[in-house]
Amino acid sequence: MNVVVDLNRCQGYAQCAFLAPQVFTMHGEESLLYTPVIAEDQDERVRRAAAACPVQAIVVGKEAGSGAR
Amino acid sequence: MAADTLFRRITDYAHRADPYPLYAELREAGVVRQEDGSYLVGTYHEIAALLHDPRISSDRRNRAVPDETAAGEQGVPPSFIGLDDPEHHRLRRLAMRSFGPPHTPGRIDAMEGEITRIVKDLIAGFEGKKRIDIVDDFAYPLPVTVICRLLGVPTEDEPRFRLWSDTIVAGFDPTPGEDPAERQRAGSEARKAMGLYLGELAEKRRNRPSDDMLSAFINNEGPDGRLTQLEIMTTAVLLLIAGHETTVNLITNGILTLLRHPDELDRLRSEPPLMPKAVEELLRYEPPVQMLPQRTPLADIEVLGVTIPKGAPLILMLASGNRDPQRFRDPDRFDPTREDNQHLGFGSGMHSCFGAPLARMETQLALTALIQHLDKPRLVEDPPPYRRSPVLRGPRHLLIEDDRAGA
Ligand code: HEM
Ligand code: SF4
Repeated sequence: MNVVVDLNRCQGYAQCAFLAPQVFTMHGEESLLYTPVIAEDQDERVRRAAAACPVQAIVVGKEAGSGAR
Repeated sequence: MAADTLFRRITDYAHRADPYPLYAELREAGVVRQEDGSYLVGTYHEIAALLHDPRISSDRRNRAVPDETAAGEQGVPPSFIGLDDPEHHRLRRLAMRSFGPPHTPGRIDAMEGEITRIVKDLIAGFEGKKRIDIVDDFAYPLPVTVICRLLGVPTEDEPRFRLWSDTIVAGFDPTPGEDPAERQRAGSEARKAMGLYLGELAEKRRNRPSDDMLSAFINNEGPDGRLTQLEIMTTAVLLLIAGHETTVNLITNGILTLLRHPDELDRLRSEPPLMPKAVEELLRYEPPVQMLPQRTPLADIEVLGVTIPKGAPLILMLASGNRDPQRFRDPDRFDPTREDNQHLGFGSGMHSCFGAPLARMETQLALTALIQHLDKPRLVEDPPPYRRSPVLRGPRHLLIEDDRAGA
């Protein structure tokens, strides 16, 4: 499953897409695609992206629905 | 004391080590007009709103009384940090093509290995020293080496551009009282010299591209055109200066803050995954860019009941907004696990920091490696001596002693 986010609502020029580029991908300049199922080796990158997201829109860890794994 | 002298007191070097009580006074006073006709804003919500307000210009040429930085640069226009949309947006996008997504999504991520290696080499350089200067031995050389690599500038030229850079930073120091015209003229000259130097480096790579941004600037043509020769110069100067005059302060403020909070230092040492959030808290608690001194309203605007006239210098005190109790709970407490931390450390809105992902990664890797290496670090001097600038604020030196410093 892929999810699309409206980038016009991002307050930070898509910080997540720089810091975890395999997980968060810019689709043109208007939207962001991300994969909710994250490979183990991306954990650290996703943690960096989560800290950098200005509106704390990225939830990491168990609370993010471990069922997705 | 009178609120209309607040800016003079904030910029006074005597308050550099601890300007925070003055910021509290500023928030208390609201929007305040200064003796020289400029206006200060220090409350979080008002700063954030102004940073998103299209009536607020970043172009100094819109000032009622243009200064040397605006008027004196015969032929050298501002870089995009000093321009408004649509021109700002066009140039920022063209520069972004070779820096980040959507066109170059992997550039920053791919630098992790190299940054890690530079950090390791710098730490290896502590060998044999019992006392190290965090600034000169670590926090300054790291971002310089990284931005040189990114742009494609030879690191050996550092002594040359360090001089220009110091002069440029001094040129936009807004400290009132002293005659700024001479400093501003020197700053413009240095900006021109650095621009010519970087333009020449780019020119050498025409049709002979290497994997760096100057090469990309001169060789890549996208659907929305390319940077002109002059735009390459102003953009490269902006990136070189913004890329190293700020990150040095975040890393140094980071070590200083952790040494003042030993419990938090121990915790980060045993739980490295906390570091990304700790760096966000540093950007709130001790931001390297304390204020944005170059905004100007394009029309009369009202903020907290005060009318700021069109063309007046408008100064946004980011570091004060970051400590606003109306926005942050217990704002004077350093809390690396703070939730809801939408700080102003990288600004906000259309000019929010272009290099933020790189600065974040450098600082996280640098602080993690350094606290793992040091054993029982002690500050030799607290507070340390500070750099002159009230805008780009940080220690000039930060001496520490450690039994393991050079082990
Ligand atoms: C800890 C390090 C850094 C801090 C605290 C910082 C802070 C800031 C702030 C507050 C602004 C907003 C300026 C304004 O609104 O007028 C800004 C803009 C900018 N920064 Fe940074 N910065 C840092 C590192 C970097 C790095 C590493 C680069 C380059 C690779 C960079 C490049 C820029 C550029 C080009 C702008 C202008 C953006 C625009 O006008 O659209 N910065 N930075
Ligand atoms: S997740 Fe955060 S950083 Fe990424 S696009 Fe959304 S708001 Fe921006």
